Amino acid sequence: MVNVLLIIFTISLLYLSIANRLLTYIKIIGVQGFILFGVAFIELREINTFNLAFILLETIIVKAIAIPMFLRYVINKNNITRETEPFLPNFVSLIVVTLIIVITFLVANSIKDIHLDKIYFIVALSALFSGLYIIITRKKIITHVLAYVVIENGVFILSLAVGNEMPLLVNLGILLDVFVSVFLLGIFVNKVGDVVKDIDISQLSNLKD
Amino acid sequence: MISFVLIFLVSFIFSGILVRTKSIASGRKGPGIMQPMKDIIRLFRKGSVYSETTSLIFQIAPSIYFASILVAILVVPVGNFKGIISFEYDFIFFAYVLALGKFFTIISALDTGSSFEGMGASREALYSMLAEPAFFVLMGSLGLLTGHTSFHEIFTTFHFGSYVSYALGIMATFVLVMICMIENSRMPVDDPKTHLELTMVHEVMILDNSGFDLGLIMHAVNLKFAMYGALIANLYIGVLPFYIAIPLFFAIQVIFAIMAGSIESFSARFRMNHNAQFIFTLSSVSLLIFFGVLLVLNKLN
Repeated sequence: MVNVLLIIFTISLLYLSIANRLLTYIKIIGVQGFILFGVAFIELREINTFNLAFILLETIIVKAIAIPMFLRYVINKNNITRETEPFLPNFVSLIVVTLIIVITFLVANSIKDIHLDKIYFIVALSALFSGLYIIITRKKIITHVLAYVVIENGVFILSLAVGNEMPLLVNLGILLDVFVSVFLLGIFVNKVGDVVKDIDISQLSNLKD
Repeated sequence: MISFVLIFLVSFIFSGILVRTKSIASGRKGPGIMQPMKDIIRLFRKGSVYSETTSLIFQIAPSIYFASILVAILVVPVGNFKGIISFEYDFIFFAYVLALGKFFTIISALDTGSSFEGMGASREALYSMLAEPAFFVLMGSLGLLTGHTSFHEIFTTFHFGSYVSYALGIMATFVLVMICMIENSRMPVDDPKTHLELTMVHEVMILDNSGFDLGLIMHAVNLKFAMYGALIANLYIGVLPFYIAIPLFFAIQVIFAIMAGSIESFSARFRMNHNAQFIFTLSSVSLLIFFGVLLVLNKLN
């Protein structure tokens, strides 16, 4: 059942590469949060109850509900237009994300560590590199935040790859990362939106002294 | 022999059910189930008009197209019944016989000398090229999963065991349904309702055909639908005995027709530049099926 959820996660990455609207990105991130909740629920067996409850609550509340709601609030408040404005056409993005999945598959096959579960590794690295690719090829600043959340989802899956437990410290690290990035970038987008009237990364160089 | 007869029987009612579903979804009662067949029989009785700019190719292409589809149906099994021809790697033969028919349609469209038909021909070639890896990767993964290489053996050995094979079955059904909609140029690739004015891919290639040729081409579309529906039904029939398999086959074909009619009623046609990207997404999804198969076989070590 976990394998099916991870395959659905990879299909959501492919959909992310061809989506045209910002709200679609946010919905995909919510779906990914639910998938991570399912994976954590089925997979984590060896840890104590408090830890498990904390991780499950974190995925379902923070990743699946709170972050999409907060990003939707930021988009509405700054009147950001609906399109994602990529630099490259969507067809090229689709080919690149497919190539990322294939290359990650080949790389994962050449690792001979017996403690590593292959499919987690493949899905996590695909999410990481796809998120990085989306950061590079989109013009708006808000898509940087959205792709960063995708990268964090990839890191979460990678931390599930090496066993049935997740130490509290790793989880707290991921949570801190997400909070700091989303809140800081949210505040950043708000304040920049107040000063500079259009949200475009080419305008960021105007901020230097 | 039985599979050929069954697919032929289904092709008579398939188009009728599809048009009826679209009419009911629009709130009308719609024509009868046999009405498209009656239109095709009326076309068979008419004579054809051949334009002066065309040559021999235009006159023989519809017959070759129809014949290629009949030969492709010879290979398709239904459940326990083999197709009339069955050999190792016959799915490659299947794909390329269909490509031969498509090639003749394309050059006959170019033969008419009309630029409108040439545009349709180039789009048909592009979309078939983009959909081809999806079909081959899908059949290749099914062959890898079951260890056999002919249609009959693959479908009789494919059974639902773990969760992953259910997911693979559903994804394979989705890919086959989408390949069928692309090959027949239905929604969301092209809109068959605007069947003479704003057509884009397949309907525009047959604008100059008339009479018996047009009847052959229209029935060929029905046969292609029935053929792909038979492939989808085979994923679910497996090795059931014939008194369950044959009604289940008809039921799955009717459900497929209703589903195709619903997709046509409730979706809009994509922009033409988005079509290429949509078809390539299919190939990526079938690549994921391939990786899922490798996972099931524990080749990921």
